[in-house]
Amino acid sequence: MDRTNKLYGIVALFDTPDQIIHAAEEVSGKGYKKFDVHTPYPVHGMDDAMKLKPSKLGFVTLAFGLGGIAAGLLLQYWTMVVDYPMNIGGKPFFSLPAFIPITFEVTVLMATLGTVIGMLSVFFRFPDNKHPLHETPYMTSVSRDKYGLFIGANDGKFNEAEVKELFSSLGGKGIAEIYEPERTLYDAFNPKFVGLLVLVALLVSGGTYFSLNKLMYMNPFNWMDHQFRGVPQQASDFFADGRMMREPVKGTVSRGHMPYEFADSAAQPAEPLANPLVASAEVLKLGQKKFLTFCSPCHGNHGDGDGRLNGQFPVPPSLHTEKLQKWQDGNIYHVIAVGQNIMPSYASQLNVKERWAVVTYIRALQKAGNASKEEVQQYRKENAANVK
Amino acid sequence: MSNDNLQYEKKFLPGKVLNIGMALLAIGLIVGALAFVLDPVRAGFSYLLGFFFVLTIGVGALFIIALEYVAGADWSTPMRRVPEFLGSSVPFFLLLAVPLFFLMNDLYHWTHTAAVESDPILKGKEPYLNISFFIIRVVVIFVLWSAYYFFVVRNSRKQDETRDQKLTKKNIVLSAVFIPIFAITLTLAGIDWMMSLDAHWFSTIYGVYVFSGALLAGLAATTLAVVMLKERGYLHPRMHNDSLASLGGLLFAFINFWAYIAFSQFLLIWYANLPEETVWFIRRWEGAWSIITLVLIVVHFLVPYTMLVSAPSKKNPKRLKFAAVWILFAHLIDLYWLIMPEYHGEKSGFIYVLTEFGFPIAMIGGLVVLFYFNFNKHNAVPVGDPKLERGLMNRP
Amino acid sequence: MNIDYSKELPLIHGRLSLGEIEDLIAKPMSEKPNRKYYIALAVTLTLFLIGAISLGYTFYYGIGMWGNNQPVGWAFEIVNFVFWIGIGHAGTLISAILFLLRQKWRTAIARFAETMTIFAVMVAGIFPTIHTGRPWLDGYLLPYPSQNGLWVNFTSPLLWDVFAVSTYFTVSLVFWYIGLIPDFAVMRDRTTTKVKKFIYSLFSLGWRHSNRNWQHYEKSYVILAGFATPLVLSVHTIVSFDFAVSIMPGWHTTIFPPYFVGGAIFSGFAMVVTVLLFVRKVFDLENIITVDHLERMNKVILATGMMVGYAYATEFFIAWYSGVPFEQFVFINRIFGPYAWAYWIMVSCNVIFPQFFWFRKLRRSIPVMFIIVILVNVGMWFERFVIVVTSLHRDYLPSSWGYFKPTIFDIGLLVGSFGMFFTLVLLFVKAMPVVSIAEVKAVADGAQPTHHGGEH
Repeated sequence: MDRTNKLYGIVALFDTPDQIIHAAEEVSGKGYKKFDVHTPYPVHGMDDAMKLKPSKLGFVTLAFGLGGIAAGLLLQYWTMVVDYPMNIGGKPFFSLPAFIPITFEVTVLMATLGTVIGMLSVFFRFPDNKHPLHETPYMTSVSRDKYGLFIGANDGKFNEAEVKELFSSLGGKGIAEIYEPERTLYDAFNPKFVGLLVLVALLVSGGTYFSLNKLMYMNPFNWMDHQFRGVPQQASDFFADGRMMREPVKGTVSRGHMPYEFADSAAQPAEPLANPLVASAEVLKLGQKKFLTFCSPCHGNHGDGDGRLNGQFPVPPSLHTEKLQKWQDGNIYHVIAVGQNIMPSYASQLNVKERWAVVTYIRALQKAGNASKEEVQQYRKENAANVK
Repeated sequence: MSNDNLQYEKKFLPGKVLNIGMALLAIGLIVGALAFVLDPVRAGFSYLLGFFFVLTIGVGALFIIALEYVAGADWSTPMRRVPEFLGSSVPFFLLLAVPLFFLMNDLYHWTHTAAVESDPILKGKEPYLNISFFIIRVVVIFVLWSAYYFFVVRNSRKQDETRDQKLTKKNIVLSAVFIPIFAITLTLAGIDWMMSLDAHWFSTIYGVYVFSGALLAGLAATTLAVVMLKERGYLHPRMHNDSLASLGGLLFAFINFWAYIAFSQFLLIWYANLPEETVWFIRRWEGAWSIITLVLIVVHFLVPYTMLVSAPSKKNPKRLKFAAVWILFAHLIDLYWLIMPEYHGEKSGFIYVLTEFGFPIAMIGGLVVLFYFNFNKHNAVPVGDPKLERGLMNRP
Repeated sequence: MNIDYSKELPLIHGRLSLGEIEDLIAKPMSEKPNRKYYIALAVTLTLFLIGAISLGYTFYYGIGMWGNNQPVGWAFEIVNFVFWIGIGHAGTLISAILFLLRQKWRTAIARFAETMTIFAVMVAGIFPTIHTGRPWLDGYLLPYPSQNGLWVNFTSPLLWDVFAVSTYFTVSLVFWYIGLIPDFAVMRDRTTTKVKKFIYSLFSLGWRHSNRNWQHYEKSYVILAGFATPLVLSVHTIVSFDFAVSIMPGWHTTIFPPYFVGGAIFSGFAMVVTVLLFVRKVFDLENIITVDHLERMNKVILATGMMVGYAYATEFFIAWYSGVPFEQFVFINRIFGPYAWAYWIMVSCNVIFPQFFWFRKLRRSIPVMFIIVILVNVGMWFERFVIVVTSLHRDYLPSSWGYFKPTIFDIGLLVGSFGMFFTLVLLFVKAMPVVSIAEVKAVADGAQPTHHGGEH
């Protein structure tokens, strides 16, 4: 550092902490204001010796801390309650307990950063590498193991000779004058610094442009354009059998499915199942619908064996034969489920309930097609009574 | 070692202290008796409240002693006799627990055999929650605590005469062994006496919660006694106000610790929203209980926090005294909040609220009496402790 | 064996003068690294490279490269995250909590521990970042007014993590840097080369050791320590919330917050001791980082180990006591189920082996403590493994039970995390003072005026 011949202050070095405490007490007692003590570490009791007022740093912390609480709570309140309220786990929009962790973190962050930045920039006026005391033997000594005392030339009571005498009377060694360094003003216009700024600006803008407009569209950042995935009905080398679609595990039974216990026998079972359904209007309607869809093409709309496919296909027997009328419900069900002669199984078209509904409907057809006169009259009577 | 600590001269507490203690005891007992006449079940709960309040002060004090030895702290050595005197109450609680054994049927649902038989959950807990095992646990717990108290205090007092450093070593070992035992026994005590009031409910943090309250109570009582004794010159004359800063700091730290534990327990149960857990908090949010819950947050956390947050206030004797009383009161509310909602009575009214505090007052009176006799019988400063000089030198 | 309790243990052995202390601490930075250093660096860089390759694969092909799959959706990477975050906690504990408790012995190890905090949090931060699957979109984790009009979910513990970990990292870094400023000034005034001088000047910000600055500086240190203490509790608490707010048996238990914090301090201290054992040997710092320091750390390890043991016992007891069959099953499954081996590694390493530290001789024996702290590190890693994996692998629905096996990439990332951590540590010891010069000077013999404190 080049120095001018303008005096900045006078320094002295001391060897022990006791000496420097004593010296500091003397100097502050004599009424000097622009003095300072430089020690390699904080010496206990020095603040009292120098008559320093207690640090006001705590108020900075308090202000930033309260600001942090407010900021954290407001941010969460505004986003979660006002701007985009969402039902999350049935909790109220303003769920204070769940907001506390983030409020706490924001408070700590703001308070600490506020304290530190406030201390360094406002209290210390850092960075300050051009301070007159730098690059002096004095600074090197106090940096290592000496205790330094400094009185500034701008102190109201400053008198070079008096100060030097005071220092030597206190036992100070290495008493020296410190001169103001040559100050180059406007460091900010230093071409090197400006060049650096330009470079940083170019790098940041270029990098942003590149990553947002180019990089995000390259593999593997490309918004999942290419994915390993299974496409139904297509080949895949992922599975050993070369197919994408999987078969259900052997023995898998779909929900609600009841296997038919005589499925394997073509002959009528000795003790067929009983009809679980009650012949309600709803069941009959279902049975009629399914019968008309699946049975009537061959068996005819009324089960007479005169279906629409008559002539194109072997004619099935009538459902009104005495044999069929005597059959139990389960016998008809068995034929629907497994088929008979040329009739195939309708198990894949009709589920269990639908089959029984068809059986019930067939019973109704049989009843309707073979009713006696008395029965018809009986029915009309009841019906008339019901209508009235 | 210098003989500086002989500057200490034994002073005796005036009889006024004894009178105050006796008066509190008498008033408390009268009010307690009234409570019994009015509603014996409710009085049982309030007896448990008083029991736990003063017990936590005692065991908190024991823990402070153990902590000093194990951590090798010297700042607390000059005032160690205060927690020793406060801890002297612990052995008596085995006697004070006897009435609780008779009240068990009113307090604890799980003591009803018929109820247990018809409740599969209670049936599952039967190997732990049954009367004989419960009594065994209580006896074992109090024997362990009393044993620690007797040995540690005996060594400490012996040191006043012999100045033998080996006694410090012995107490360090004793304390190191005691701390894990203390953690387990205090947890079990909390579960047995308080958590099982609602035998269905469970929370793993409960032991830590009880610990935070107990330590806070012990610290607050110690602080109160130390500040009052020091102001009147009963302690070592060289003890500086700065030595109080550590007490203030610890109070502040454990205020936060309590809040942290309480909040953790609440947040986890509130968030997961499982009915078998939330029932406990819902009971404390019904009717006027919600006010007590909110008051608890303010009284037990926000107010003491602001009281002690700044550095100078931690060593201000006046502030500390106020804070200590406040925290003890807050601790009482905390225990009230833990215990009383489990009482399912219908009765209410001003007189009932007043009777609630009969037993706590009586037991505080008992503690004061005990403190008086202990104080006048023994040195109020551990004059033989090798760390005493260090503790008096210590300036934070 | 007989200790004089009337005197404090000396913090620095060998009655070093202030200048000697400085020379001793600054030596590693002024010397050219020797061969041992390069060998060590080669080893850690190899491990780091393994991690980098695994990370590259993960980046390119996605996290399907890992062993995680239904029902174990969280595995190694979450375990590593929790493990490394935990390691970090010791640093803040030593630098902040022990500072507030005025434990002067912390000065010798605080810097190192703080540095480890920062590196450990850096390593830890990688894992949740890559676990999102597309880490280049992690900006979405921050609340910013986006075009979609969406906000992050502030009630999610995973978002709390984002805030907690980033706050923790920032505050630790600031705390660490504040501690370093006077030391940078010392280095600035010691060094002779121009480049170094420039760098040290830049970072020292022009520190002048002025008492007018020391006054505020000390105040700020108290304030920062006061904030760092609840912060460090909050971080692992929030990590535990990740698990505990769910309704997963084995995860949802109220003791998790203090239990996680205790475990974090436990593992962190073990890691600090592990590294210090090497550093004090290699850089001749035995007089500054003394056996007394290590003994005290071992005591903390013993204490926190028992806290962890307490938590295991409580969890286990309450699981039985609760009468909830799912809770009971999870704990029986931990102890006797397919992952019983992991559980027993955890219990023996965390609860049983540290009990050797009850004996003063073993506490002060370097080989014994080395073995035990390594075991504690292993045990604490397995603790997180047990919590994360065994709770997940058998959940409510037995048909979806499974068994998690790590892939080579999982293991590669774990190895790489250690590589990264130790590489950073090695670089640090050469570049910056591993012990705080100013703080150690302040506790040296005769460093403080006689009529204030001290013992004369």
